[in-house]
Amino acid sequence: MARMKFICDAERCIECNGCATACKNEHEVPWGVNRRRLITVNDGKPGERSMSVACMHCSDAPCMAVCPVDCFYKTEEGVVLHDKDLCIGCGYCFYACPFGAPQFPQAGAFGLRGKMDKCTFCAGGPEENHSKAEFTKYGRNRIAEGKLPACAEMCSTKALLAGDGAVIESIYKTRVQRRGKGDEIWGWAMAYKRGDALASGVKS
Amino acid sequence: MKTSWWRSRQTSWRLLAGLVVSSGLSLGVSAQTAAPAAAAPAAATKAAAPEAAPAATTAPAPPAGSTAQPGWNVPPKWSDVELKPQYASVPGREMNVLLEDKGQWWRTVRNGPVTFYGGILMLVVPALLLAFFAVKGPFKLHSAPSGRLIERFNSAERMVHWTMALSFVALAVSGLILLFGKYLLLPVFGASVFAWTAQVMKAVHNFIGPLFIFSLAAFFFLYVRDNFFKSHDFIWLSKFGGLLSDKEIPSGRFNGGEKVWFWLSIVVLGIVISASGLILLFPNWDSTRELMAEANLVHGVIAILFMAASLAHIYMGTIGTQGAYQGMREGYVDETWAKEHHEMWYNDVRAGKAVQKPVGAAQPAAGDD
Repeated sequence: MARMKFICDAERCIECNGCATACKNEHEVPWGVNRRRLITVNDGKPGERSMSVACMHCSDAPCMAVCPVDCFYKTEEGVVLHDKDLCIGCGYCFYACPFGAPQFPQAGAFGLRGKMDKCTFCAGGPEENHSKAEFTKYGRNRIAEGKLPACAEMCSTKALLAGDGAVIESIYKTRVQRRGKGDEIWGWAMAYKRGDALASGVKS
Repeated sequence: MKTSWWRSRQTSWRLLAGLVVSSGLSLGVSAQTAAPAAAAPAAATKAAAPEAAPAATTAPAPPAGSTAQPGWNVPPKWSDVELKPQYASVPGREMNVLLEDKGQWWRTVRNGPVTFYGGILMLVVPALLLAFFAVKGPFKLHSAPSGRLIERFNSAERMVHWTMALSFVALAVSGLILLFGKYLLLPVFGASVFAWTAQVMKAVHNFIGPLFIFSLAAFFFLYVRDNFFKSHDFIWLSKFGGLLSDKEIPSGRFNGGEKVWFWLSIVVLGIVISASGLILLFPNWDSTRELMAEANLVHGVIAILFMAASLAHIYMGTIGTQGAYQGMREGYVDETWAKEHHEMWYNDVRAGKAVQKPVGAAQPAAGDD
């Protein structure tokens, strides 16, 4: 089974925000919730690069580890999903996530957090595939339709790659060989190769 | 209108294109030959201001075999930039930070030592208290109750104490469920029932929290008067209140142990737990994730210490000391109780120097001493 991952190729990203827009449109994400966002480093200086950031569907996901109601689960393809019916809006996943992926719509006064919302890798949620409930809570389930995430499909420069980790990694490595720079896949060390060093001796 | 708008757009595009081409050319020319018009001003400023030059030389060098131009278009070292605020068009706190690495540390500490040792403490303290009760039993009165009552706590004092006590228990139970429920209740309740429980507990924690803070402040002002340390309190503390000698050391209205409980728990732990709790209670304050994670750790550790200390207090105030619970519930204690547990206070009351007065049958007795 393929292990789904994201790569954003900073040598190609032109900060057009097409991925973020595609995501918002595809899933009809509420105002103020940003499942994917663009960050430009060294803005206006030599070495300026842009990076599209969303949930990286970590191997050892911190959000899963800290959730007090255990509402997260992982699909066979390594996609980290959550059950909004169980989520209590405590915000712990937001503290733990290195990528700032979990988002909270405001549910009341004083910034009270509602049910967490985040990138689903376009894989929906625990509800029945393509059901209305699934769409309302998690957005479209493109994976069940045999499609890839909308953000990567929409990317005009093919900077954002989504799919089987082995496949997109080989595409990226071919690019690096041709251009001779930008060999680091940003975020992968944190998301997939953190290893047991940090969690050694500590259970989840 | 439409055509003129389009034309102006076109002109500006053409201008922009011209600029790009010309600047590109001039860059290329200056790099190649460093001679003609466009490059001359640049060369002149360079010569005039040599301190401007290092900016170009400090630009990162491309790796070996790279086709990148030196100083330009070299990808950043991600570890140098990922933790610092950059630019993001999406508004919001920390939306422009690529990576927040403190969350992982928070996770390991919270899920590790705080949960593990906190859980052990929450089991060990009640076990020790029950063991103490089994061995020593409650502190009983040595003489028979006199039947004469002294007012120990007035209605305001009792109301504030019980508001604080009940809100503390509500916060303790809901907090324990949020920290340990995943391990203890989730396997029993199942996902949906436990999630519903946790949702209610979160609401309880959020709404009772401010009530606890208000009662804490009111409690401080009502009780601080009799909680200042006097020299005899140190004697009391140095002898553990007479616990070892079975002869209770005389004390004022509150003994040394109660004063330590007041200052260390109600004041110090109370302030820390309130401050950290408020940071967590108001997401609209836009705290950073790091601050909220730290506040969460502080809140958890202090809460566990507070609960451990309060268990000892609850023990002493209920099954541990005969007649103590009655004092806080009804507001009155027997004269014998006052004499045996708070001798100096008893003497003050008898002498009319204390705020608290004897009541009922004790009142005419004011003349018989």
